Amino acid sequence: MISLPHYLILGAILFSIGVVGIFLNRKNLIVLMMAIELMLLAVNLNFVAFSHYLNDLSGQLFVFFILVVAAAEAGIGLAILVVLFRNLSSIHVEDLDQLKG
Amino acid sequence: MDALLNAVLTPVQQLLGPLLFTVVWTLVKIVLILAPLMLSVAYLTFWERKVIGWMQVRIGPNRVGPWGLLQPIADGVKLFLKEILLPAVADKKLFLLAPVLSIAPALAAWAVIPFSEGWVLANIDAGVLYLLAVSSFGVYGVIIAGWASNSKYPFFGAMRASAQMISYEISMGLALITVLMVSNSLNLTDIVKAQSTGRFVSYGLDFMSWNWLPLLPMFGVYLISGVAETNRAPFDVVEGESEIVAGHMVEYSGMSFAMFFLAEYANMILIAAMVSIFFLGGWLSPFGLLPDGFHWLAGKMAFVLFLFLWFRATFPRYRYDQIMRLGWKVFVPLSLAWILVVGVWMMSPLTIWK
Amino acid sequence: MELKTILFYLFAVIMVFAALRVVTARNPVHAVLFLVLAFFNAAGLWMLLQAEFLSIMLVMVYVGAVMVLFLFVVMMLDINIEQMRKGFWTHLPLGAGVGLLMVAEMAVVLSGRYFGLQNFPPQNLPANHSNTKELARVMFTDYVYPFELASVILLVAVIAAVMLTQRTRKDTKGMHPNDQIAVKRNDRLRIVRMVSEPPEVQAVDAKAEEKS
Repeated sequence: MISLPHYLILGAILFSIGVVGIFLNRKNLIVLMMAIELMLLAVNLNFVAFSHYLNDLSGQLFVFFILVVAAAEAGIGLAILVVLFRNLSSIHVEDLDQLKG
Repeated sequence: MDALLNAVLTPVQQLLGPLLFTVVWTLVKIVLILAPLMLSVAYLTFWERKVIGWMQVRIGPNRVGPWGLLQPIADGVKLFLKEILLPAVADKKLFLLAPVLSIAPALAAWAVIPFSEGWVLANIDAGVLYLLAVSSFGVYGVIIAGWASNSKYPFFGAMRASAQMISYEISMGLALITVLMVSNSLNLTDIVKAQSTGRFVSYGLDFMSWNWLPLLPMFGVYLISGVAETNRAPFDVVEGESEIVAGHMVEYSGMSFAMFFLAEYANMILIAAMVSIFFLGGWLSPFGLLPDGFHWLAGKMAFVLFLFLWFRATFPRYRYDQIMRLGWKVFVPLSLAWILVVGVWMMSPLTIWK
Repeated sequence: MELKTILFYLFAVIMVFAALRVVTARNPVHAVLFLVLAFFNAAGLWMLLQAEFLSIMLVMVYVGAVMVLFLFVVMMLDINIEQMRKGFWTHLPLGAGVGLLMVAEMAVVLSGRYFGLQNFPPQNLPANHSNTKELARVMFTDYVYPFELASVILLVAVIAAVMLTQRTRKDTKGMHPNDQIAVKRNDRLRIVRMVSEPPEVQAVDAKAEEKS
């Protein structure tokens, strides 16, 4: 019988993989964004699992809004990435050091 | 009919047990949908060559079998027997995965298509969403094929395809929203049933109350977007022979090449089915005195497919920037405006949807 | 074992594997495709949780749109993979350690009896229950303002993405299609009426005919 902790621990594993991904691929902006998507997916999984076991639809509504915001984030993020690449011919994180203040 | 079916199925059910029976019975249904589908794909290629031949005052294929009827089978055997070449610098796994990814969604989408009252594999409430989700996955086959080939023309084709297919998915989705608004459901069976009511039904002119008439601009947008979505002429810049050879399929040979073609034609038949269900009343008969049934859906699909072939024989190929302009600057604003019009119409006293 | 249990472990194992490959894959294109696989399995898990609307939405929005965008960008950018992976192996021990620690801690907290998380019974919805309809009922009543805000966010994102990436290149020779369509025949073409053969040739021909 699959209970709520099963889903929560799966979410935890997924979230940790996302965090580890940010550790490992600190140079690559695209993989960083994908690691963030993974973490968002883990959070969404938790929301849906809670919504199912607590019998409350608000959790699923929240996932819907997270999907909207994440889609917007991915769209703008990739647009910024393309502009960066156009100007610097690189998306290496260490090259992004022109903002000094 | 149902009694006969039950008489056959009940002993089988007792023999296999409920779980195994469900699995086997679903598999049988899947085969019953896919086998005729593949046969119609084969004969659609034959019919296309014949129709375009006649339109260009030629005869078309007429050598293999009576009236050339065995031509698709001969083509299939030829493609089966050819070697599948693997380019040396290709990404081998993805190169072989791409044809599978392009044909799988084209077949998976048929799970929710209702062929007649109750004749549907999965009568799910989110059927329209499922169709949109599955058809949006079709673009992966093209992109991966173009990238994995590691060659220039396939890559151009993949880039064109991904931009074009995503753009037209948007206008298709927006056109569908008006259909969802007037039929008040995401379930395909309910969408068809919603078209069987209206003022003209009481006059016996059922075809006048199908969605195509009140939503005429959206019918046009959906049909044309469907042509663009399947990368058919006149929107076939993705594989335009005179520009980029065959686009993403340049490096493919034998059966893996044929898979892309099967996917394209299966997608055409799917779009025809979707147009018939959303706008042309599915399995409903056009006149009140005639009985409904699957043959009406088949007839409507054949008509829409004929339109596809007719477009191909008639129109010269669009230029790529004009395709994108048509999608984004004409269809998207038009469908957005029409959503507003339909919304106001439904709320006004003049509404015909009650 | 129930079928649901088997499916849960199947989806979970494939999803964790795909997620691991996302962060370790050498080629970013492969990473994107593994992320797509992870999303598919997440959709399967949500289906098990009877959230079919969201699971189809996930495939539609993420797999159908966002990941295609990712793939598009990854393929278009000419990036140096080797340089990108510099420091991968030096960071691996620390990263893996932190990750394992996080998983272990959360597992201890979540699977313990303290919060009583095991005691929640799963929902048993009837087969004709429509998740889509229920969700719509909540979305358009209690959450209608957040819903409208979400649409504004999307609009802002669309405008921002277009504004960021749009540029007018000076070297393109494109023409505005409206101008092209608006061209009349008389602007481009002058039709001159003339006889198909010069008159003297016709005269010679006529004489030849008379003689014969």
